[in-house]
Amino acid sequence: MLARSSELATYSSDGLPGYRLRPRLAVFPTSKQQLIDVVRLLAREGTPFVARGAGTGLSAGALASGDAVVIGLNRFNHILRIDPLNRLAVVEPGAVNVTLTRAAGAHGLHYAPDPSSQTACTIGGNVAENSGGPHCLKYGVTLNHVLALEIILASGEIVTLGNADGEVDGYDLLGAFIGSEGCFGIALEVTVKLTPNPQGVRTLLADFTSIDAGARATSAIIAAGILPAALEMMDGPTIRAVEASIYAAGYPADADAVLLIELDGLDAGLDADVRLVQQHCLAAGARTVHIAANEVERARLWQGRKKAFGAMGRIAPDLVVQDAVIPRTKLPDVLREIAAIAARWQIQVCNVFHAGDGNLHPNIGYDSRNADEARRVGMAMRDIMQACIAAGGTITGEHGIGLDKLEYMPLIFSPESLAAQCALRDAFDPERRANPGKVVPVHSCREWMRA
Amino acid sequence: MPGVDARVSTEQIQERIRTIGSGRAAARHGAEGTATGAPLRIRGSGTWLDAGRTVGNAVPLSLEGDEAIVEYVPSDLTLTARAGATLFELARVTAAEGQWLALDPFGSSTGTVGATIATGSAGPLAHAFGTPRDNVLGLEAVTGKGEIVRAGGRVVKNVAGFDLTRLFTGAWGTLAVITEATVRLRALPERDQTITLALPPGYAMERWLAKLRALPFSPLALELLNAPLAHALELGDRALLLARLGGNDDSVREQLRRLGALGEMRPAPKDAWRALAEIEPPGAAVVRVSAPPSRLHALWARLSAPDGDSLVHAAAGRGIVRSIHIASAHAPLAPWLAHVSQTEGTRIFERLPAAEWSAIPARANDPLSRAVRDAFDPQRILNRGILGEVA
Repeated sequence: MLARSSELATYSSDGLPGYRLRPRLAVFPTSKQQLIDVVRLLAREGTPFVARGAGTGLSAGALASGDAVVIGLNRFNHILRIDPLNRLAVVEPGAVNVTLTRAAGAHGLHYAPDPSSQTACTIGGNVAENSGGPHCLKYGVTLNHVLALEIILASGEIVTLGNADGEVDGYDLLGAFIGSEGCFGIALEVTVKLTPNPQGVRTLLADFTSIDAGARATSAIIAAGILPAALEMMDGPTIRAVEASIYAAGYPADADAVLLIELDGLDAGLDADVRLVQQHCLAAGARTVHIAANEVERARLWQGRKKAFGAMGRIAPDLVVQDAVIPRTKLPDVLREIAAIAARWQIQVCNVFHAGDGNLHPNIGYDSRNADEARRVGMAMRDIMQACIAAGGTITGEHGIGLDKLEYMPLIFSPESLAAQCALRDAFDPERRANPGKVVPVHSCREWMRA
Repeated sequence: MPGVDARVSTEQIQERIRTIGSGRAAARHGAEGTATGAPLRIRGSGTWLDAGRTVGNAVPLSLEGDEAIVEYVPSDLTLTARAGATLFELARVTAAEGQWLALDPFGSSTGTVGATIATGSAGPLAHAFGTPRDNVLGLEAVTGKGEIVRAGGRVVKNVAGFDLTRLFTGAWGTLAVITEATVRLRALPERDQTITLALPPGYAMERWLAKLRALPFSPLALELLNAPLAHALELGDRALLLARLGGNDDSVREQLRRLGALGEMRPAPKDAWRALAEIEPPGAAVVRVSAPPSRLHALWARLSAPDGDSLVHAAAGRGIVRSIHIASAHAPLAPWLAHVSQTEGTRIFERLPAAEWSAIPARANDPLSRAVRDAFDPQRILNRGILGEVA
């Protein structure tokens, strides 16, 4: 248990700059019974709480203020069971994403959702955020990989959602819980699907002299019906940040965009798809399409992508990693608009994102001590969100609403729709003590209560 | 057809629900007009109405005819349709662009997209593509409180807000009437090939199924068929595996080679899948029993009973056995019902004679599910009783 101010500093922020809230207390249960005891004690006291995994979140979702107690789950992190025959694993919520994948590797299996933070982020955090990652294009997000959850409600009651031993009957409360950002309760035990490692993998790097051409290639590949395991784009500023860092991946430094494309499956048939992808890239204006010759080269190409945020972090003291999704055909238009927004507010935007899903990550490096710059970054973020909404998109694809995006919720949901979301939350946590004040603006909930 | 409305809009549905709600509230305070308070039975094209329990004393709320395709951008691989659009129509429109909605629930293809999502119905393609919850991106719906709600969106990845899309999918219309849906489409495979494979003798099934699951590729569908079902589908007189393979030429050739190593392989018509979906006659009793895939051999041995008349098939990768019983003088329902009821696993009855439902435990009857129901349909206006719940 941590109660001293200096000790709590770590738990006052997450991966998103600009938000600092000090919790009253932070507790770190190491076993299921301890976690149950903590939640039941808080229930008796009527105290709000915020569950927290590794704190890598990017929406200020795991911050606690006022009375709220942080329940840190990163020490409640065992892999309880791996069942290779049924391709599933049972883990405690604090288990680290990549630790599970490594453990499953002995059986030729892996855990498919692979957020960029996978070396640190926890499975429980992934469940709370419905996390994605590059390979979700083909394999689906956390929702598609969780079979069952044992959870504890804020009331202290323990409930099982989903079914690891067969089909699910009744309401899809498992689906409702995944992505509920800690507002519905805390997972005690998570049962996930494991995915067989593919027989063959081909990793390609296509480089372009314009973002537009890269976006056109993306649209062409998707429209042609090819389903790559991953289809990632990095723009010029990102490429140069990566190449200037210790994560240099050999991306052409003069390119204005690269696509990192991975195809996997049976070896037979893979080369035919590689040729098609090459053709689409070249037709869209790629200068070269390079195919990784071996595992070392493949790992190097991916390292540049996965560590891009770290590479950008070297350049400026603070980095906002944004998140939005647009229909894939709108990629060229929206990327042009983002460039115009950056110019308007005189800021530098680096785009590194899951192009195949239309899931944008415009990133802005800045210095939060410079009030004027911080204001301009805020305005640019708002304009980018509005551009994505206007293109028929949404305000978050995998990072969640947290505190950061509360103000945009009324832009995409009607008051009735927001109130219905509150009603669902109230079924799980009528006292609203689990992660209070997140996801749905508080005034929307009040309206529902009066109705 | 009696009881079928003219085409209704979302706002008209809202109006009907609100009228019933306020009628009931008034009646509680001693006012006139209890007759207006009858619950609604939501229906699409009406082909699957015998699925699930009967909704007593209900007035039909039909979405038939509200079948417009609202938006279809083929290059985005997403489509938005009104709930009354039939799966057949969706297949026709998307096939013209080389795409499909990869859901093939059992029953007639005149079933609607709204009914498929509301009942969470999936067929053999779930092996590769999952069930409706994995394919629905967004919904418009009217709750039992008469609120028009939009959930999710039209993009393929979305974590904005609490997930009402998943909540309403598979809720059998007991929380909200689905009026519009956005679904994820996929490209039709370059080659789409169906074959049959002879099954090994019973004692060898466990190892054989393990080998099948360990193949280094995912077929589009893998269904075991018992002998009576194989016969009914004109695929021979022995139990067999019906497999559907997709991919490019090279890939399908390799898949065939590897499957061929597991037993005697024969080509089969692609129509076999449609015939399987429509095999059960009206009045049949249908149950699904599921278990972890590693226990499928035991479940299959118990339920596929070579001496029985039941038509039985199983999703080999998912561990789900589905038994169709057609009652007759020499095949009464009671022994079948007793047999499946004593089978270990998760049992979900799809169809039963009305009198038999009372013995089947209700769905969504736990305190949390009841709290959810109270939040969305506190007056039990929508499909009351269809889950067997206590009203």
